[in-house]
Amino acid sequence: MATLEIQGKTFEVDGDGFLTDPSIWNEDVAKLFAEADGITELNDKHWAIIKIIRDNFEEKGNAPMVRTICKETGLKLKDIYELFPLGPARGACRVAGLPKPDGCV
Amino acid sequence: MTNNITNEQKAKALAIISNTNDSKLETHLNACVRCGLCASSCMYYLTMKEGKYIPARKVDLVSSIYRRYKTWQGAMFPSLFHARELNQETCDEMVDSLFGACTMCGRCVKHCSIGVDIPFLVKKGREMLAVMGLVPKTLQATVDAAVNTGNNMGIPTEEFVDTIQWMEEELQDELEDEKSGIFLDQPDKNVFYTLNPREPKFFPLSISAMAKIFYAAGEEWTLSSKYYDVTNYGYFNGNNEEATQIARNLYDEIHRLHGKRLVLGECGHGSRAMRWEGPNYLKTQYDFDTLTVVELIGEYIRNGRIKLDKTLNSKVVTIHDPCNLVRNGGLLNEIRFVVNAAAANVVEMTPYGTDNFCCGGGGGALAMSEYNERRLKIGKIKADQITATKAEIVVTPCHNCVDQLTQINHTYKLGITIKTVAELVADALVIES
Repeated sequence: MATLEIQGKTFEVDGDGFLTDPSIWNEDVAKLFAEADGITELNDKHWAIIKIIRDNFEEKGNAPMVRTICKETGLKLKDIYELFPLGPARGACRVAGLPKPDGCV
Repeated sequence: MTNNITNEQKAKALAIISNTNDSKLETHLNACVRCGLCASSCMYYLTMKEGKYIPARKVDLVSSIYRRYKTWQGAMFPSLFHARELNQETCDEMVDSLFGACTMCGRCVKHCSIGVDIPFLVKKGREMLAVMGLVPKTLQATVDAAVNTGNNMGIPTEEFVDTIQWMEEELQDELEDEKSGIFLDQPDKNVFYTLNPREPKFFPLSISAMAKIFYAAGEEWTLSSKYYDVTNYGYFNGNNEEATQIARNLYDEIHRLHGKRLVLGECGHGSRAMRWEGPNYLKTQYDFDTLTVVELIGEYIRNGRIKLDKTLNSKVVTIHDPCNLVRNGGLLNEIRFVVNAAAANVVEMTPYGTDNFCCGGGGGALAMSEYNERRLKIGKIKADQITATKAEIVVTPCHNCVDQLTQINHTYKLGITIKTVAELVADALVIES
């Protein structure tokens, strides 16, 4: 089990830096994780994406399709890739406190 | 250290290196002369500079067990013949070295003085670990998803179909032609196309890029809504039964839909597993054509079925050669033919082609969180290679490489754009109405 320290706070994470226990996630955790990825401020669009991802995770236990993120937020794919440069998985899902999705991500 | 390896586990693992009918296995297990030339070919050793990362040492983990149990010298005088017990300590080292410190890229084979097939032996070691139930959890989870749901990300069919329909609408808007499309479950088509599940899940623009190329070529094609996954992580976890089942999914589905040509989407290991390993897994000859999408695009260009204007891609482009398609797949020249037809300014990395360095994410590494730190560390070699080319775009026909390159781009602040071959080609397409 690895740990990640951001601004004096320590989190238990997997080797890829995804939260080990998604239930300890809150908005402050999101801000810290985003900052570690170089996103200094989370704007309304970031939060809209994060909310959809969290809701989907709490309801279905996994990350939503990027299709769902676009449909629910009204954002274009291009916007999502720009808002989270590491992409929906390693970028947005990590900030939203999900476990790392399986597969080539 | 406590020994938790049971006799049953041990027997299963030893059976894998006990097949005396397998001349390749016997030869390669006995072949290493410890010259050390492989050391400087390996990204792990070059980065970490520790003896345990030398490819020959990884091979020795497997061959020392062979010597202990399969040769009388090793059984009688283990320390003299460097023969090892298969116990907990050995297994821990095997997991760490064979899963956690080898992308099975095969660059060491090119540099081996006598041509030992090192990844082949690493794979045998992984098979031993697999029968003992010692596959890293995250890698096994990816295989389980593929075995249980038909794709390695566990995407439900209705969500896949919804994404494809969405992409199709956008494509029809862009091409202003309702006849264009992304076709699902259509029987008797010339091309049965396949995807990496990360495309529909998170990065669907590569699907529409390919659909655009099919449209321009006037191709008759289809995807399956259930079995479209080109990946086969069973090739990496060492469980051949699982690898066989995953290969069988595509094999059965192309038959069900009467597809003529199985076109493997941009995925290095998946192409290798389905094209070269698949007939061995399934113990049958394919009665359909099997080719990669790069070769198909090459065919379209040669036959004049698509027209490209390379000035539409004028930025400097470099090619990342996926190990399983170039060093182990024969696509060296075909990738270059296609990329040079689609881009005006192509430069090579040093080294490139069959001597190219892995992206660092191969061999299942991308799926194994346990070794994330090492993966990004060795990726520095690739980052430096890219920086030296001064390229703005890196093109590669492998989604696994794309993901690793995306992380390298972020970690080492390269400021590059990463594209699949289909995306690069789609950007250069001249579509005559």
